Amino acid sequence: MSVLSQMALLFIGAALVNNMLLTRFIGLCPFFGVSSSMSTSVGMSLAVVFVMTLASGATWMAWKFVLSPLGVGEFLYIPAFILIIAALVQFVEMYLRKASPVLYRAMGIYLPLITTNCAVLATATEAAKPGFFKMNIPLGPSLGLGEALVYTLGVSVGFGFALLTFAALRERLEAAPVPAALRGAPIAFISAGLLSFAYVGLAGWFGL
Amino acid sequence: MKHLVQTFVKGITRENPLMILMIGLCATLAVSTQFQGAVFMGLAVIFVLTMSNAIISIFRRFIPNEVRIPMFIVVIASFVTIVDLVMKAFVPSVYAFLGIWIPLIVVNCIILGRAEAFAYHNGLPAAIADGLGMGVGYTIVIVVFAFVRELFGSGAVKFFGATLLALPSWYAPPSVVLLFPGAFILFGFFLAGWRALVSRPGGGGGCS
Repeated sequence: MSVLSQMALLFIGAALVNNMLLTRFIGLCPFFGVSSSMSTSVGMSLAVVFVMTLASGATWMAWKFVLSPLGVGEFLYIPAFILIIAALVQFVEMYLRKASPVLYRAMGIYLPLITTNCAVLATATEAAKPGFFKMNIPLGPSLGLGEALVYTLGVSVGFGFALLTFAALRERLEAAPVPAALRGAPIAFISAGLLSFAYVGLAGWFGL
Repeated sequence: MKHLVQTFVKGITRENPLMILMIGLCATLAVSTQFQGAVFMGLAVIFVLTMSNAIISIFRRFIPNEVRIPMFIVVIASFVTIVDLVMKAFVPSVYAFLGIWIPLIVVNCIILGRAEAFAYHNGLPAAIADGLGMGVGYTIVIVVFAFVRELFGSGAVKFFGATLLALPSWYAPPSVVLLFPGAFILFGFFLAGWRALVSRPGGGGGCS
Protein backbone atom coordinates (compact mmCIF):
# COMPACT_ATOMS: atom_id res chain seq x y z
CA MET A 1 0.00 0.00 0.00
CA SER A 2 1.39 3.37 -0.94
CA VAL A 3 2.12 5.92 1.74
CA LEU A 4 -0.53 8.28 0.45
CA SER A 5 -3.37 5.78 0.50
CA GLN A 6 -2.29 4.60 3.93
CA MET A 7 -2.46 8.18 5.18
CA ALA A 8 -5.91 8.58 3.63
CA LEU A 9 -7.08 5.39 5.34
CA LEU A 10 -5.66 6.58 8.63
CA PHE A 11 -7.51 9.88 8.27
CA ILE A 12 -10.87 8.33 7.39
CA GLY A 13 -10.46 5.65 10.02
CA ALA A 14 -9.78 8.21 12.72
CA ALA A 15 -12.40 10.73 11.60
CA LEU A 16 -15.41 8.60 10.72
CA VAL A 17 -15.11 4.88 11.37
CA ASN A 18 -13.59 5.28 14.83
CA ASN A 19 -15.20 8.62 15.59
CA MET A 20 -13.94 9.80 18.95
CA LEU A 21 -17.26 11.08 20.24
CA LEU A 22 -19.83 8.66 18.99
CA THR A 23 -18.01 5.36 18.88
CA ARG A 24 -15.59 5.80 21.78
CA PHE A 25 -17.39 8.18 24.13
CA ILE A 26 -14.28 10.31 24.48
CA GLY A 27 -14.93 14.03 24.86
CA LEU A 28 -18.58 13.86 25.83
CA CYS A 29 -18.43 16.81 28.24
CA PRO A 30 -18.03 19.44 25.48
CA PHE A 31 -20.31 17.35 23.28
CA PHE A 32 -23.24 17.91 25.64
CA GLY A 33 -21.95 21.15 27.12
CA VAL A 34 -21.55 23.37 24.06
CA SER A 35 -23.77 21.66 21.52
CA SER A 36 -26.89 23.59 22.50
CA SER A 37 -26.09 26.26 19.92
CA MET A 38 -24.44 26.17 16.53
CA SER A 39 -22.10 29.14 17.00
CA THR A 40 -20.50 27.81 20.17
CA SER A 41 -20.02 24.43 18.49
CA VAL A 42 -18.17 26.04 15.58
CA GLY A 43 -15.81 27.83 18.00
CA MET A 44 -15.23 24.70 20.01
CA SER A 45 -14.55 22.57 16.93
CA LEU A 46 -12.02 25.06 15.58
CA ALA A 47 -10.25 25.24 18.92
CA VAL A 48 -10.13 21.45 19.20
CA VAL A 49 -8.67 20.94 15.70
CA PHE A 50 -6.04 23.56 16.40
CA VAL A 51 -5.00 22.52 19.91
CA MET A 52 -5.22 18.78 19.37
CA THR A 53 -2.85 18.83 16.40
CA LEU A 54 -0.32 20.97 18.26
CA ALA A 55 -0.64 18.82 21.38
CA SER A 56 -0.03 15.58 19.52
CA GLY A 57 3.07 16.98 17.86
CA ALA A 58 4.37 18.14 21.24
CA THR A 59 3.68 14.89 23.11
CA TRP A 60 5.07 12.85 20.22
CA MET A 61 8.36 14.74 20.45
CA ALA A 62 8.41 14.59 24.24
CA TRP A 63 7.92 10.82 24.13
CA LYS A 64 10.42 10.22 21.36
CA PHE A 65 13.23 12.49 22.49
CA VAL A 66 12.83 12.77 26.26
CA LEU A 67 10.58 10.26 28.04
CA SER A 68 11.41 7.15 26.06
CA PRO A 69 15.24 7.53 25.86
CA LEU A 70 15.41 8.29 29.59
CA GLY A 71 13.32 5.22 30.39
CA VAL A 72 10.87 7.13 32.57
CA GLY A 73 7.94 7.05 30.16
CA GLU A 74 5.97 4.24 31.76
CA PHE A 75 5.35 6.05 35.01
CA LEU A 76 5.71 9.69 34.00
CA TYR A 77 3.68 9.82 30.82
CA ILE A 78 0.42 10.87 32.49
CA PRO A 79 1.73 13.95 34.36
CA ALA A 80 4.10 14.82 31.51
CA PHE A 81 1.47 14.78 28.76
CA ILE A 82 -1.17 16.65 30.72
CA LEU A 83 1.32 19.34 31.73
CA ILE A 84 2.49 19.70 28.13
CA ILE A 85 -1.12 20.16 27.04
CA ALA A 86 -1.90 22.63 29.83
CA ALA A 87 1.19 24.71 29.08
CA LEU A 88 0.56 24.57 25.35
CA VAL A 89 -3.01 25.76 25.73
CA GLN A 90 -1.84 28.64 27.88
CA PHE A 91 0.76 29.69 25.29
CA VAL A 92 -1.68 29.37 22.40
CA GLU A 93 -4.13 31.56 24.26
CA MET A 94 -1.52 34.25 24.97
CA TYR A 95 -0.20 34.15 21.42
CA LEU A 96 -3.62 34.31 19.80
CA ARG A 97 -4.70 37.23 21.95
CA LYS A 98 -1.70 39.20 20.67
CA ALA A 99 -1.38 37.97 17.11
CA SER A 100 -4.87 37.27 15.85
CA PRO A 101 -7.75 38.95 17.67
CA VAL A 102 -10.25 37.58 15.13
CA LEU A 103 -9.27 33.99 15.76
CA TYR A 104 -9.11 34.70 19.48
CA ARG A 105 -12.68 35.98 19.49
CA ALA A 106 -13.84 32.90 17.61
CA MET A 107 -12.29 30.31 19.89
CA GLY A 108 -10.75 32.16 22.83
CA ILE A 109 -13.19 31.21 25.55
CA TYR A 110 -13.02 27.53 24.63
CA LEU A 111 -9.26 27.29 24.97
CA PRO A 112 -9.08 26.99 28.80
CA LEU A 113 -11.79 24.35 28.70
CA ILE A 114 -9.76 22.28 26.29
CA THR A 115 -7.10 21.50 28.88
CA THR A 116 -9.54 19.17 30.59
CA ASN A 117 -11.05 17.86 27.39
CA CYS A 118 -10.32 14.17 27.53
CA ALA A 119 -10.30 13.90 23.73
CA VAL A 120 -7.12 15.95 23.58
CA LEU A 121 -5.28 13.90 26.19
CA ALA A 122 -6.52 10.64 24.69
CA THR A 123 -5.42 11.53 21.16
CA ALA A 124 -2.10 12.99 22.23
CA THR A 125 -1.40 9.87 24.29
CA GLU A 126 -2.39 7.56 21.47
CA ALA A 127 -0.30 9.47 18.93
CA ALA A 128 2.81 9.38 21.09
CA LYS A 129 2.39 5.99 22.75
CA PRO A 130 0.01 3.85 20.66
CA GLY A 131 -1.66 0.73 21.95
CA PHE A 132 -4.77 1.83 23.80
CA PHE A 133 -7.09 1.85 20.81
CA LYS A 134 -7.54 -1.05 18.48
CA MET A 135 -7.95 0.19 14.93
CA ASN A 136 -7.85 -2.04 11.90
CA ILE A 137 -5.17 0.01 10.21
CA PRO A 138 -1.87 -1.62 9.31
CA LEU A 139 0.46 0.47 11.43
CA GLY A 140 3.68 -0.30 13.17
CA PRO A 141 4.00 -0.41 16.97
CA SER A 142 4.84 3.30 16.98
CA LEU A 143 3.76 6.10 14.69
CA GLY A 144 6.07 8.44 12.80
CA LEU A 145 5.54 12.16 13.30
CA GLY A 146 3.68 12.46 9.98
CA GLU A 147 1.36 9.55 10.81
CA ALA A 148 0.75 10.92 14.29
CA LEU A 149 -0.24 14.31 12.87
CA VAL A 150 -2.52 12.82 10.20
CA TYR A 151 -4.14 10.62 12.83
CA THR A 152 -4.73 13.60 15.11
CA LEU A 153 -6.07 15.72 12.29
CA GLY A 154 -8.50 12.92 11.46
CA VAL A 155 -9.66 12.57 15.05
CA SER A 156 -10.17 16.29 15.51
CA VAL A 157 -11.99 16.79 12.21
CA GLY A 158 -14.24 13.84 13.12
CA PHE A 159 -14.81 15.43 16.52
CA GLY A 160 -15.84 18.73 14.95
CA PHE A 161 -18.05 17.01 12.40
CA ALA A 162 -19.94 15.03 15.03
CA LEU A 163 -20.26 18.07 17.27
CA LEU A 164 -21.72 20.21 14.46
CA THR A 165 -24.17 17.48 13.38
CA PHE A 166 -25.34 17.09 16.93
CA ALA A 167 -25.67 20.85 17.47
CA ALA A 168 -27.87 21.10 14.38
CA LEU A 169 -29.97 18.23 15.74
CA ARG A 170 -30.34 19.86 19.14
CA GLU A 171 -31.43 23.20 17.72
CA ARG A 172 -34.33 21.37 16.11
CA LEU A 173 -35.02 19.50 19.32
CA GLU A 174 -35.62 22.78 21.17
CA ALA A 175 -38.90 23.21 19.35
CA ALA A 176 -39.93 19.55 19.36
CA PRO A 177 -42.76 18.27 21.56
CA VAL A 178 -40.78 16.10 24.00
CA PRO A 179 -42.46 14.30 26.95
CA ALA A 180 -41.86 16.24 30.17
CA ALA A 181 -39.85 13.48 31.83
CA LEU A 182 -37.36 13.32 28.98
CA ARG A 183 -36.95 17.06 28.41
CA GLY A 184 -33.42 18.46 28.54
CA ALA A 185 -30.51 16.10 29.04
CA PRO A 186 -32.31 12.73 28.70
CA ILE A 187 -33.61 13.45 25.21
CA ALA A 188 -30.16 14.77 24.23
CA PHE A 189 -28.68 11.40 25.16
CA ILE A 190 -31.33 9.48 23.27
CA SER A 191 -30.78 11.54 20.11
CA ALA A 192 -27.01 11.10 20.50
CA GLY A 193 -27.71 7.36 20.57
CA LEU A 194 -29.59 7.56 17.29
CA LEU A 195 -26.75 9.58 15.75
CA SER A 196 -24.31 7.00 17.04
CA PHE A 197 -26.19 4.27 15.12
CA ALA A 198 -25.13 6.03 11.92
CA TYR A 199 -21.47 5.93 12.91
CA VAL A 200 -21.60 2.33 14.06
CA GLY A 201 -22.97 1.56 10.60
CA LEU A 202 -19.75 2.85 9.08
CA ALA A 203 -17.74 0.03 10.66
CA GLY A 204 -16.19 -2.06 7.90
CA TRP A 205 -15.77 0.80 5.43
CA PHE A 206 -12.67 0.24 3.30
CA GLY A 207 -11.98 -2.76 5.49
CA LEU A 208 -11.39 -0.52 8.49
CA MET B 1 -20.31 15.97 62.35
CA LYS B 2 -23.81 16.55 61.02
CA HIS B 3 -22.32 18.94 58.54
CA LEU B 4 -19.86 16.30 57.30
CA VAL B 5 -22.64 13.76 56.83
CA GLN B 6 -24.59 16.31 54.83
CA THR B 7 -21.56 17.00 52.65
CA PHE B 8 -21.15 13.27 52.08
CA VAL B 9 -24.83 12.65 51.24
CA LYS B 10 -25.17 15.54 48.81
CA GLY B 11 -22.56 13.90 46.58
CA ILE B 12 -24.85 10.91 46.24
CA THR B 13 -28.22 12.60 45.85
CA ARG B 14 -28.60 16.34 45.39
CA GLU B 15 -25.31 16.92 43.56
CA ASN B 16 -24.68 13.47 42.12
CA PRO B 17 -21.85 14.05 39.61
CA LEU B 18 -23.33 11.88 36.88
CA MET B 19 -27.05 12.32 37.25
CA ILE B 20 -27.30 15.97 38.31
CA LEU B 21 -24.03 17.78 37.54
CA MET B 22 -23.58 15.63 34.40
CA ILE B 23 -19.79 15.58 34.53
CA GLY B 24 -17.42 12.67 33.98
CA LEU B 25 -19.78 11.02 31.53
CA CYS B 26 -17.29 9.68 29.01
CA ALA B 27 -15.81 6.95 31.16
CA THR B 28 -19.21 6.01 32.54
CA LEU B 29 -20.69 5.19 29.17
CA ALA B 30 -17.53 3.50 27.92
CA VAL B 31 -16.69 1.15 30.76
CA SER B 32 -20.24 0.22 31.76
CA THR B 33 -20.31 -2.75 29.39
CA GLN B 34 -18.80 -4.86 32.14
CA PHE B 35 -19.83 -4.97 35.80
CA GLN B 36 -16.38 -5.96 37.01
CA GLY B 37 -14.63 -3.16 35.11
CA ALA B 38 -17.16 -0.62 36.39
CA VAL B 39 -16.55 -1.66 40.02
CA PHE B 40 -12.81 -1.05 39.61
CA MET B 41 -13.40 2.22 37.77
CA GLY B 42 -15.57 3.37 40.68
CA LEU B 43 -12.93 2.38 43.22
CA ALA B 44 -10.22 4.16 41.23
CA VAL B 45 -12.30 7.36 41.11
CA ILE B 46 -13.08 7.20 44.85
CA PHE B 47 -9.37 6.80 45.62
CA VAL B 48 -8.12 9.56 43.33
CA LEU B 49 -10.91 11.97 44.25
CA THR B 50 -10.56 11.55 48.02
CA MET B 51 -6.77 11.70 48.03
CA SER B 52 -6.49 14.68 45.70
CA ASN B 53 -9.21 16.52 47.65
CA ALA B 54 -7.30 15.85 50.87
CA ILE B 55 -3.91 16.96 49.53
CA ILE B 56 -5.31 20.09 47.88
CA SER B 57 -7.22 20.99 51.02
CA ILE B 58 -4.11 20.60 53.20
CA PHE B 59 -1.98 22.77 50.92
CA ARG B 60 -4.69 25.24 49.90
CA ARG B 61 -3.04 28.15 51.75
CA PHE B 62 0.23 27.60 49.89
CA ILE B 63 -1.16 27.23 46.38
CA PRO B 64 -1.14 30.62 44.60
CA ASN B 65 -4.38 31.42 42.85
CA GLU B 66 -2.72 32.02 39.46
CA VAL B 67 -1.15 28.61 39.06
CA ARG B 68 -3.73 26.55 40.92
CA ILE B 69 -5.02 24.59 37.93
CA PRO B 70 -1.59 23.21 36.88
CA MET B 71 -0.87 22.36 40.51
CA PHE B 72 -4.19 20.56 40.90
CA ILE B 73 -3.44 18.63 37.73
CA VAL B 74 -0.02 17.55 39.00
CA VAL B 75 -1.54 16.29 42.27
CA ILE B 76 -4.30 14.43 40.43
CA ALA B 77 -1.90 12.99 37.85
CA SER B 78 0.32 11.59 40.62
CA PHE B 79 -2.56 9.68 42.17
CA VAL B 80 -3.73 8.49 38.77
CA THR B 81 -0.23 7.17 38.10
CA ILE B 82 -0.43 5.20 41.37
CA VAL B 83 -3.74 3.67 40.26
CA ASP B 84 -2.33 2.99 36.78
CA LEU B 85 0.69 1.08 38.07
CA VAL B 86 -1.16 -0.77 40.87
CA MET B 87 -3.89 -2.01 38.53
CA LYS B 88 -1.36 -3.02 35.88
CA ALA B 89 0.48 -5.10 38.48
CA PHE B 90 -2.36 -6.72 40.44
CA VAL B 91 -5.44 -6.93 38.18
CA PRO B 92 -4.05 -7.08 34.62
CA SER B 93 -7.35 -8.30 33.13
CA VAL B 94 -9.18 -5.26 34.52
CA TYR B 95 -6.32 -3.01 33.38
CA ALA B 96 -6.59 -4.37 29.85
CA PHE B 97 -10.34 -3.77 29.85
CA LEU B 98 -10.18 -0.21 31.21
CA GLY B 99 -7.24 0.75 28.93
CA ILE B 100 -7.12 4.43 28.10
CA TRP B 101 -9.74 5.24 30.75
CA ILE B 102 -7.20 4.92 33.55
CA PRO B 103 -4.93 7.75 32.29
CA LEU B 104 -8.04 9.70 31.36
CA ILE B 105 -9.10 9.89 35.03
CA VAL B 106 -6.70 12.86 35.11
CA VAL B 107 -9.01 14.89 32.93
CA ASN B 108 -12.19 13.55 34.49
CA CYS B 109 -14.12 16.74 35.17
CA ILE B 110 -15.41 15.41 38.50
CA ILE B 111 -11.97 15.40 40.09
CA LEU B 112 -10.67 18.73 38.82
CA GLY B 113 -14.13 20.20 39.38
CA ARG B 114 -14.24 19.16 43.04
CA ALA B 115 -10.67 20.35 43.61
CA GLU B 116 -11.57 23.75 42.19
CA ALA B 117 -15.06 24.13 43.63
CA PHE B 118 -14.71 22.46 47.01
CA ALA B 119 -11.30 21.29 48.24
CA TYR B 120 -9.60 24.62 47.49
CA HIS B 121 -12.00 26.45 49.81
CA ASN B 122 -12.66 23.95 52.61
CA GLY B 123 -10.88 22.24 55.48
CA LEU B 124 -9.52 18.71 55.46
CA PRO B 125 -12.49 16.83 57.04
CA ALA B 126 -15.02 18.50 54.75
CA ALA B 127 -12.84 17.91 51.68
CA ILE B 128 -12.51 14.21 52.49
CA ALA B 129 -16.26 13.89 53.11
CA ASP B 130 -16.93 15.62 49.79
CA GLY B 131 -14.46 13.41 47.93
CA LEU B 132 -15.93 10.24 49.42
CA GLY B 133 -19.51 11.36 48.80
CA MET B 134 -18.90 12.35 45.19
CA GLY B 135 -16.88 9.17 44.61
CA VAL B 136 -19.55 6.94 46.10
CA GLY B 137 -22.28 8.77 44.18
CA TYR B 138 -20.33 8.16 40.97
CA THR B 139 -19.68 4.53 41.83
CA ILE B 140 -23.30 3.73 42.67
CA VAL B 141 -24.52 5.04 39.33
CA ILE B 142 -21.80 3.44 37.20
CA VAL B 143 -22.07 0.06 38.95
CA VAL B 144 -25.86 -0.10 38.70
CA PHE B 145 -25.74 1.04 35.07
CA ALA B 146 -23.08 -1.54 34.21
CA PHE B 147 -25.05 -4.26 36.02
CA VAL B 148 -28.12 -3.52 33.92
CA ARG B 149 -26.14 -3.32 30.68
CA GLU B 150 -24.21 -6.53 31.24
CA LEU B 151 -27.29 -8.42 32.44
CA PHE B 152 -29.47 -7.49 29.46
CA GLY B 153 -26.65 -7.22 26.93
CA SER B 154 -24.96 -10.54 27.55
CA GLY B 155 -27.49 -12.45 29.65
CA ALA B 156 -25.38 -12.89 32.78
CA VAL B 157 -23.36 -10.74 35.16
CA LYS B 158 -19.90 -12.07 35.98
CA PHE B 159 -17.33 -11.02 38.57
CA PHE B 160 -13.88 -12.61 38.11
CA GLY B 161 -15.42 -15.64 36.43
CA ALA B 162 -18.16 -16.21 39.04
CA THR B 163 -21.69 -15.69 37.73
CA LEU B 164 -23.60 -13.31 39.98
CA LEU B 165 -26.91 -13.35 38.18
CA ALA B 166 -28.04 -14.97 34.96
CA LEU B 167 -31.17 -14.62 32.89
CA PRO B 168 -32.98 -17.81 31.77
CA SER B 169 -31.53 -19.42 28.67
CA TRP B 170 -34.49 -18.49 26.42
CA TYR B 171 -33.39 -14.85 26.66
CA ALA B 172 -31.51 -13.87 23.51
CA PRO B 173 -29.42 -10.82 24.47
CA PRO B 174 -29.68 -7.96 21.96
CA SER B 175 -26.12 -6.84 21.32
CA VAL B 176 -27.20 -3.22 20.87
CA VAL B 177 -27.32 -2.90 24.66
CA LEU B 178 -23.56 -3.37 24.76
CA LEU B 179 -22.89 -1.22 21.67
CA PHE B 180 -22.40 2.53 21.68
CA PRO B 181 -25.93 3.61 20.65
CA GLY B 182 -27.43 1.41 23.36
CA ALA B 183 -25.32 3.10 25.99
CA PHE B 184 -26.51 6.57 24.99
CA ILE B 185 -30.16 5.59 24.80
CA LEU B 186 -30.20 3.58 28.03
CA PHE B 187 -28.38 6.38 29.83
CA GLY B 188 -31.01 8.85 28.63
CA PHE B 189 -33.78 6.74 30.17
CA PHE B 190 -31.68 6.13 33.27
CA LEU B 191 -31.30 9.88 33.69
CA ALA B 192 -35.01 10.48 33.28
CA GLY B 193 -35.78 7.75 35.83
CA TRP B 194 -33.29 9.07 38.38
CA ARG B 195 -34.58 12.60 38.07
CA ALA B 196 -38.15 11.44 38.54
CA LEU B 197 -37.42 9.19 41.53
CA VAL B 198 -34.33 10.42 43.41
CA SER B 199 -33.39 14.05 42.79
CA ARG B 200 -33.79 16.78 40.24
CA PRO B 201 -31.14 19.24 39.07
CA GLY B 202 -31.19 22.70 40.57
CA GLY B 203 -29.22 24.34 37.76
CA GLY B 204 -25.51 25.05 37.55
CA GLY B 205 -22.85 22.40 37.11
CA GLY B 206 -21.21 21.41 33.88
CA CYS B 207 -17.65 21.91 32.65
CA SER B 208 -15.46 21.74 29.56
